[in-house]
Amino acid sequence: MPDSTIACSECGAANHKRSKTCRLCGNLLKPELAKKKRIQEKLLRRTDFLAASRANQSATRKLILALLTIAVILGYLVGWSAQVSVGVIPVNAEDPLLFLSHWGLIGAAILLGISLIWTWIAFKRGDRIIMKMTGATLANHDNEKQLHNVVEEMALAAGVPKPTVYIIETEAMNAFATGMSPGRASVAVTRGMLNKLSRDELQGVMAHEMSHVVNWDIRYATAVSILVGLIALVSDSILRSGRYGRLGGGKRSGGNNSGAGILFIIMIVFAILAPLIARLVQMAVSRQREFLADATSVRLTRNPHGLISALEKLSQETVKFEGANRATQHLFIVNPFRNFSEKASSLMATHPPLNRRINRLHNLGDKKFD
Amino acid sequence: MDVGGWIFIAVIVIVIISIVSMYNGLVNLRNQVQNAWRQIDVQLKRRHELIPNLVEVTKDYMEYEQETLEKVIQARNGAVNAQGPEQAIAAEGALSGALGKLFALMENYPDLKANENVNKLMEELSSTENKIAFSRQFYNDSVMGMNNGVETFPANIIANLFGFKQATYFEVPEEEKASPKVNLR
Repeated sequence: MPDSTIACSECGAANHKRSKTCRLCGNLLKPELAKKKRIQEKLLRRTDFLAASRANQSATRKLILALLTIAVILGYLVGWSAQVSVGVIPVNAEDPLLFLSHWGLIGAAILLGISLIWTWIAFKRGDRIIMKMTGATLANHDNEKQLHNVVEEMALAAGVPKPTVYIIETEAMNAFATGMSPGRASVAVTRGMLNKLSRDELQGVMAHEMSHVVNWDIRYATAVSILVGLIALVSDSILRSGRYGRLGGGKRSGGNNSGAGILFIIMIVFAILAPLIARLVQMAVSRQREFLADATSVRLTRNPHGLISALEKLSQETVKFEGANRATQHLFIVNPFRNFSEKASSLMATHPPLNRRINRLHNLGDKKFD
Repeated sequence: MDVGGWIFIAVIVIVIISIVSMYNGLVNLRNQVQNAWRQIDVQLKRRHELIPNLVEVTKDYMEYEQETLEKVIQARNGAVNAQGPEQAIAAEGALSGALGKLFALMENYPDLKANENVNKLMEELSSTENKIAFSRQFYNDSVMGMNNGVETFPANIIANLFGFKQATYFEVPEEEKASPKVNLR
């Protein structure tokens, strides 16, 4: 590593050596500065809903723009490679590889259209698709009176309409929020969570989810789930099948030359896309977002102990949640693929380690509320 | 037109734009305060509806606590008839205090706590108490935003010009603060 950079102890990102906080996760880079009052105030100001919601809305716009660009490039590449491998090259083309491919333009238009429709679906029905993916069902108003009451209390504290309440019938403990705006949000909890948490602890967890709602985290996270998650799943399966030689890999000398060529190109594109997608999913739940939601949760309930003991119970949980996949893992309050997130400095982790979140809450609680 | 003229026009336009945006900001803040107050109102009405049921159910069990029940009913009627925010805040504070005492006394009656109807009513009432507290919290946050807007320079000039007034905080009366904390899990 060059001398001019300094690595963040929490997320490992490289920062300029003179910067005080990490540009990626907001973590304080120089521990000796923590005692300075001005720096403390700077860190506190980061719990700013308006800034968070603006950042989330612009991140969503960038995500959609990036997706559309990728779709156009991918569509053109596929069409172009098909035209080249079939051998329908215009007579007046100077170079057999560099020409304006009509098939490529058609491919780009088709993929652009598909991704526009896809984006529209994500905005209209994103939350319902995610609820279906995770196996959540609407919570009955009479049987789950306490859950409905707790959610309504937190909506009042946050000053937003009450979200739709879902339950996932599993003994594992987890919860998440989704939706495209605070006005049309949904929250879901697992049955295990309802059974094992007290009213105060459930309130802390619901306040955490409500924070994701008012910070507009749900919009970006839902967009990532629907738009990027599906690409991630498709590219996973394509790469896996490519590795085993079932598609494109092996018989390139045979008669089906053209088909193999197209698949080869698609595979290369997806191989380039896959790490990018992983990064986007990971960014959707940056540590910054989770820490901010924890802090906001305390601001809503004025009681850090509920969330602290809920997180402590979650850290001792052993039942694995089967309803999550790569497209939805970043939504949950704790990562459903636990082994993944347990490594403190892992770059791939979508969530901060639970003990760090608990420590930060203790800091908040001891100063203001005890 | 010369350069000075253009600068003059630009300054006028900037001043007009900032006045309009400050005025709109103040209107937004005032609407938020009013909306937050309406949310409290909804919860207070819900509490007024629930209390007669609670008194009806507990009456038979708590023969020796007629005085407390009487006070709850009186405080409830006072709150229902209160006019305007200031009066309502005082009356609701008294009602919260009376209810707190009743909840504390109910702990002494195991039969009462075993009754399923009472339990349902208690979850409803304690949740309503929470909702009142949380909507009051949001109301006070909104009032702080409004008052900051009305007092800080330069928005205070616009506020004075168009008659934006400071809003009243929903203070917790001392009586309610002292009321015993009940665990209703």
